[in-house]
Amino acid sequence: MSDVLLEVDTIHTFIGQFHILEGVSLKVRTGSITALLGRNGAGKTTTLRSIMGLNPPRSGSIRLAGEPINGRPAYNIAQLGVGYVPEHRAVFRDLTVEENLRLAERKRGDLARRSDFIMSLFPDLKRFYRHPGGKLSGGQQQMLAIARALVADNRLLLIDEPSEGLAPIIVEQIVSALRQMSAETTILLVEQNFAMAAQLADEYYILDDGRSVQHGRMADLVHDHATIDKYLGAG
Amino acid sequence: MIEWIQRRRGLIAGIVAAILFAIWASSQYEPRVLASILLSGLTLGALYFLVTSGLSLIFGLMDVLNFAHGTIFMIGAYIGFTLYANPRLLLNMLPFVLAFVAGWLLARWLPFSSLPTGHRRPLWVVAVLVGVFAVWGFELAPLATTALSSGGRVPTEQAQAPIGIFIARTVGLAIAGLIAGAAFIIGNEHTRQPAPRDLVLSSGLLALAIIIAPLRLNAEGWILALDSNARFLLALVAGASGGAALGGLMEWSLIRPLYSRPIYQVLVTLGLVFVGTELVKGIWGPGGYFMELPAWFSRRGPSCPSPNLIAWLQDNCASIDVLGRPFPSYRIFIIALGIAMFIGIAVLLRYTRLGMIIRAGVQDSEMVQALGINVRRVFTLVFALGAGLAALGGVAAAPFLGISPGLGQEFQLQAFIAVVIGGMGSFTGAAIGALLVGLARAFGDQIVLTGIQLPWMSEAMTFSPSIARASTVLIMALVLLLRPAGLFGKKE
Ligand SMILES: Nc1ncnc2c1ncn2[C@@H]1O[C@H](COP(=O)(O)OP(=O)(O)OP(=O)(O)O)[C@@H](O)[C@H]1O
Ligand SMILES: [Mg+2]
Repeated sequence: MSDVLLEVDTIHTFIGQFHILEGVSLKVRTGSITALLGRNGAGKTTTLRSIMGLNPPRSGSIRLAGEPINGRPAYNIAQLGVGYVPEHRAVFRDLTVEENLRLAERKRGDLARRSDFIMSLFPDLKRFYRHPGGKLSGGQQQMLAIARALVADNRLLLIDEPSEGLAPIIVEQIVSALRQMSAETTILLVEQNFAMAAQLADEYYILDDGRSVQHGRMADLVHDHATIDKYLGAG
Repeated sequence: MIEWIQRRRGLIAGIVAAILFAIWASSQYEPRVLASILLSGLTLGALYFLVTSGLSLIFGLMDVLNFAHGTIFMIGAYIGFTLYANPRLLLNMLPFVLAFVAGWLLARWLPFSSLPTGHRRPLWVVAVLVGVFAVWGFELAPLATTALSSGGRVPTEQAQAPIGIFIARTVGLAIAGLIAGAAFIIGNEHTRQPAPRDLVLSSGLLALAIIIAPLRLNAEGWILALDSNARFLLALVAGASGGAALGGLMEWSLIRPLYSRPIYQVLVTLGLVFVGTELVKGIWGPGGYFMELPAWFSRRGPSCPSPNLIAWLQDNCASIDVLGRPFPSYRIFIIALGIAMFIGIAVLLRYTRLGMIIRAGVQDSEMVQALGINVRRVFTLVFALGAGLAALGGVAAAPFLGISPGLGQEFQLQAFIAVVIGGMGSFTGAAIGALLVGLARAFGDQIVLTGIQLPWMSEAMTFSPSIARASTVLIMALVLLLRPAGLFGKKE
């Protein structure tokens, strides 16, 4: 299938001696937004980190556009066009907004080329361009973390709980930004806020206890209250 | 307001303490004495800074406590001094090192990576055997001593191996490097593709090694014929680059495989202290050396001491008049070197991409990786940079403190104290900590020398010499009470 950008096949990932992922499989189609759902501690973050090469899986395979990428160092995976927006908005606190973005350049001129698009999505970043990242509000930090993944040419974005702890109005803004971004890249989105995931995603995968247990079209899941209750708590 | 004061109590306490100390010091000492104590403190502070800056950068970025940093300082002093006074030793070792590296690089270009993994271990053994055979019976000790004991001028040809044997040894080491390099890339999946530049670099190095071999004697003469200032600058460069190369090698070979096991890293760096010290004793002997000052800082005569810094630029006196008291001009140079390096690193950190990566990596090196930056390479680079700075400090300290295998330890301890005072991982902290420790030592030394005159006592109160060393520990304890993470520290 040529339109599958990312294919994760039964990966097993360990953190220390703990067996965290016990067979996670998923496919992300080119141009789609795919939601990765599950309770707290289900293994969503670990799945993204495995794909990114930050917690390489011990077995199983990960392919990006057909090419195996598991076992490669994280910087190498990033260079293949994978952008990562981690949980808890890991912006560099001592670097200015500009420096945070500049650091994400992979070629000279990346930022100059993408600046207009980024600033149209997140006008706040322009306003605080020379402020340290640590001085931004939580919402602005989240915008910066997302913007950072947009600087280089990325084919796939891994985004971990972008709405976590943010006011509804900011969440709105991020939803609309993600929607505009998805016009040009593919997104694998981890989200606890089911309403938000439902608005954005085309397809979903559900993880439970380190395993992928169910997947399908988001439009179908919205009506499937049994599944939502079973795996996503009081969604 | 009250909250503001509470939040800044460390800073306020610091400023109050500094003002009180300044009032006390100016009542205790005449201005000219005070000036020379301050300058001595700055001199020591500058030397400490060269050690603490690297220590702190390395800790901040990689969380590695490098106990061997002082050892690199000491080795830097030896390398610089050797180039300055006895280049024979270096000239006789350089071809071997170059040849080995050339062989290693060549192995990356040849198609060795496809050999079966089973060949790995036997190849290592063969590499070691070939290497040992190549240098078997080669004596360094006579090279290290003869030139020095004869004033460095007499070419003692008998101290050097005949050219034929020497070249054979060089080639032997190239072969050892080739085999070791092959063993290294076997089964190493992620080695990059062989690039033509490996071949170019490798043959260049080998050619250089072979060219140096017959020119050893002449080159020695040429270097010694240079004027002392040029040799001194060369010594600074050689010491710093030697230290940087050692530091990079150390990170790559011993520290890198252990990032997931920090305790072992500490043990490895501790072990390197002993290995380094013994190695230096083995090559240069257990005794100490004294490095002469270059001409810039050693003129004596009727016009000396120079009345001021500008005049010194012309007359190069050994000392400069500071408020009526002569102060050694070389120490002013050390202070200037410290300040230059401070500015240099600050600019590097603030305005370059590398600096940006370092600042970001101090907070979260994993996220830096995830942006597509090869952080491991930056680690090696920063380790080399830090080691280079320490080694530069070693060369600069050599004419001032003398050279001995114990030189590193004292600096290591004081530098650790300075880094803890300033806050682990903070560059500004490393500079301030070094300055405080330097000043404390200088005031401590003065107090030991003259005691403290208290108004209600007829005689000065005297102290034992250990007060100078104890004073820095005292400051550290005080700072840690007020700010457990150090003055500028962010992480514990
Ligand atoms: N460093 C660690 N050591 C041991 N266990 C860990 C570690 N990190 C995560 N885990 C465990 O791995 C499991 C999966 O964690 P992960 O962070 O991937 O979950 P998650 O689905 O992202 O949860 P959340 O919604 O809370 O972010 C959890 O049970 C967690 O306790
Ligand atoms: Mg998570």
